[in-house]
Amino acid sequence: MKVSLFITCVSDIIFADVGKNTVEILERVGCEVDFPAAQTCCGQPAYNSGYLQEAKKSMKQMMRAFKDSKYVVGPSGSCVGMLKEYPAVFKGDPEWEEAANDLANKSFEITQFLVDVLGVTDLGSTFKGKVTYHPSCHMTRVLGVKDAPQTLLNNVKGVDFVELPVKEDCCGFGGTFAVKNPAISGEMVKEKSQHVSETNAEYLVGGDMGCLMNIGGRMRREGKNVKVVHITEILNTQEKGGGIA
Amino acid sequence: MSVKIGDVSYKDRIDKGIENEFMRQAVSSAQGRFRTGRLSQAEELGNWEDWRQLGSEIRTHTLENIDYYLQQLSDQVARRGGNVFFAETAEEANDYIENVVKKKQAKKVVKSKSMVTEEIGLNHCLENIGAEVVESDLGEWILQLDEDPPSHIVTPALHKNKEQIRETFAQKRGYDKSDDPEELAAFAREQLRKDFLSADIGITGCNFAIAESGAITLVTNEGNARMATALPDTQITVMGMERIVPTWEDMEVLVSLLTRAAVGQKLTSYVTSYTGARLEDEIDGPDDYHLVIVDNGRSKILGTEFQSALHCIRCAACINVCPVYRHVGGHAYNSIYPGPIGAVLTPLLDGYEDHKELPYASSLCAACTEACPVKIPLHEQLIRHREIIVEQEKKSPVAEKVMMKGFAKWASNPAAYKLSTKMARTALKPWTRDGNIENGPGPLKGWTDVRDFPAPPKQSFRTWWSNRQKEGKA
Amino acid sequence: MAIHNRDTFLSNLAANLGRPRRMDGVERPTYSVQPQYDVLNGYSTDDLISVLQEQCNVIHTDFIHTNRDGLSNVLMDTIARYEGKSIIASNDKRNQVYGLDDIYSRLDQELDVHIWDHSLGEANQRIAEQADVGISFSDITLAESATVTLLNNKDNGRSISLLPKTYIAIIPKDTLVPRMTQAAKQLHEADAQGVDVPSCVSFVSGPSNSADIEMNLIVGVHGPIKATYIVVD
Repeated sequence: MKVSLFITCVSDIIFADVGKNTVEILERVGCEVDFPAAQTCCGQPAYNSGYLQEAKKSMKQMMRAFKDSKYVVGPSGSCVGMLKEYPAVFKGDPEWEEAANDLANKSFEITQFLVDVLGVTDLGSTFKGKVTYHPSCHMTRVLGVKDAPQTLLNNVKGVDFVELPVKEDCCGFGGTFAVKNPAISGEMVKEKSQHVSETNAEYLVGGDMGCLMNIGGRMRREGKNVKVVHITEILNTQEKGGGIA
Repeated sequence: MSVKIGDVSYKDRIDKGIENEFMRQAVSSAQGRFRTGRLSQAEELGNWEDWRQLGSEIRTHTLENIDYYLQQLSDQVARRGGNVFFAETAEEANDYIENVVKKKQAKKVVKSKSMVTEEIGLNHCLENIGAEVVESDLGEWILQLDEDPPSHIVTPALHKNKEQIRETFAQKRGYDKSDDPEELAAFAREQLRKDFLSADIGITGCNFAIAESGAITLVTNEGNARMATALPDTQITVMGMERIVPTWEDMEVLVSLLTRAAVGQKLTSYVTSYTGARLEDEIDGPDDYHLVIVDNGRSKILGTEFQSALHCIRCAACINVCPVYRHVGGHAYNSIYPGPIGAVLTPLLDGYEDHKELPYASSLCAACTEACPVKIPLHEQLIRHREIIVEQEKKSPVAEKVMMKGFAKWASNPAAYKLSTKMARTALKPWTRDGNIENGPGPLKGWTDVRDFPAPPKQSFRTWWSNRQKEGKA
Repeated sequence: MAIHNRDTFLSNLAANLGRPRRMDGVERPTYSVQPQYDVLNGYSTDDLISVLQEQCNVIHTDFIHTNRDGLSNVLMDTIARYEGKSIIASNDKRNQVYGLDDIYSRLDQELDVHIWDHSLGEANQRIAEQADVGISFSDITLAESATVTLLNNKDNGRSISLLPKTYIAIIPKDTLVPRMTQAAKQLHEADAQGVDVPSCVSFVSGPSNSADIEMNLIVGVHGPIKATYIVVD
């Protein structure tokens, strides 16, 4: 099966490992992965800030970049959720409506793709450690992916899983919200960090690097020793005897 | 009062909210209880999503035919001996009610909780013509004695603790007992009972007006609305024009959604539906009844992308799940309608000029949208507001505009974008310590004030990918 | 009675909706889902009584199940428990059917019993306000929420269930329905047939309460502080 990686701009620039792990997981389950180099950002920073015209420029670039792809798979519920909004944004636009529908229909978040499209629920991974999971808002409430990440995590050998209190609460990232309303965002991430501490987990796992960058950045600032990892990192760890390389 | 509460700046309101430890603790614990109640009720029904769907369909149909149903309602109320006044503005509504009060030479008006009378500033108008106005909902009464605005649409005095309430009762009403909530409530009962019995006029809001019948339905736990409608000889209902349903059957569904979503109750202690004036030989109920139907900016919302905001049944479920509300409290919104629904409604009712920050006071986490029992896409409507603020109102900051123009150029130009993925690490190097940025420049400053920012890695994904392609995959 | 400003107001709404004003011909659609009919569907009356009893615990309401022979004792016990010295009751045809007339005349020898009498005017309200106990019949009883529906009228004043310190609802077994859906349907059908609904329909679920002070549940605010439901076979 041919799959195009949608790396997301955050991982493209900062979290190279997330891209690598996603590629390797997809290949392990038999996909042929390509990386359309013309991809940029899904447009969400502008879209969520009310800059629709600016967002559309970015979105059009994404539609061009993934024009020939059969499946588009990305390691972010939020960014894939944005692609799913394209049809609403370009509704009635004769030039782009079809491309918007096409991209939305063929795009999937990585755990969603594994579980719902490929029917893979066990990647044969092993990861030793006490792990908690933050289900990101856009992954669960915008994209509607609630069970897939947990299903995959449950099948990783060696994981000592502990539920995050009030897990459905936002971490305070919210893209430009973190910069535009830093005081409120700060209080939200402090609370999330507190909840993570209450679990005594060694690893905080999530499916969106935006949220993880926020929570991880706060916990580092507080001098907390919790490692923050994207779910693909756990899923891509095989019999190596614990932790990440 | 009106929609807007005061003149303190947005930033000061946020800071004041965040610094108010007691309020935040109270809100957080209340949210926890509301959440548990709402979720357990939804779980018990088992098909909550069907209920939400039904609620949403009822509201959609009603709003699309609101002129028809308001006509039917007013005909029925008139047939049952009531007067109906359609008020396009707050002034028209207040003038009409003032005239009733004057004509009756009423000295005392007793009210049950009503958001729309807060919105039109009715109490102030009636006090100006010499009437004594008594709020009878326990929370509203506390706030009235203390001259404090509400901070929540269901539990308006959520931000106050029992010590503060005891103090208020002592100062304003000579209360000399403890701060035990039961004792405080017993005192309120005793004080307000006298007001109910001596009031000339009762004024209430309206949860649902039933068009087919002309019945006004009020949903309360305390019983104050029943008092205000059973005892005074003159009664006035003030309703926002969208607070209408076609039939008893629709009312029933929406009440079921309201009480579950608001407080996790199957029904509140009292759901009361009264119609027009009392009938011949009846003792309780008014002999003179008035229904005032208020527009006050609502009609402008019809036919726009915000129409579904009028579906709101004022349950506060969105407020009760909102993390922003939890940290800043209701007063930070500077509107009698706080929280996500407040951030959507306030600019629509009162304009963007004084409320342009509200649509941004959300991380767009969509908890509100998920909680709404009538499926208002609240977080999406906040984005629509932001689009209007940027593109029509032109009220967004200059630096942000420049940044977004830059974003569009960057994200629509693959070569420039690709270059930035390579250059990011070098560009951020001056601020990078130990793989992280702790004190970032420009737009990063807001971020690094509270948390660290990770520096880009030595090898970017694209370099890894192209090396791998050259090697014919690892 | 007068209706003011209606035409300009409603025409403006129609204009904003981008269509001519709708004066007639609007039909309620068949909604795509109707979950309200599924709740407690197929429950027998006895099943519904169990649901009612369980919900009474939640709403701080005492529940008693008896038959017509037992009603007299149960009612007197309850009044005694409420230390009732003064009582106000509705002037209901069912008072005779259920033998309450007799009970009330017996009680009146020791206590102060007032049966609602519209010819006395506002005196009824004053009596209710001073009464320890209010007693009336439920017309439709909603099992799910433990709610008594009171169709108020000239012989059954709203005050009876509202002003006294405590309230007792007599619930004939045959008034039980699953939930508010069935009560709403009856009222809707009355309206559809042109039968006037009562000037006040009160759905009462237990004693009054409030959570306005630090979210603490306070039972008994403006209305009755205690409530008892007596289901009669």
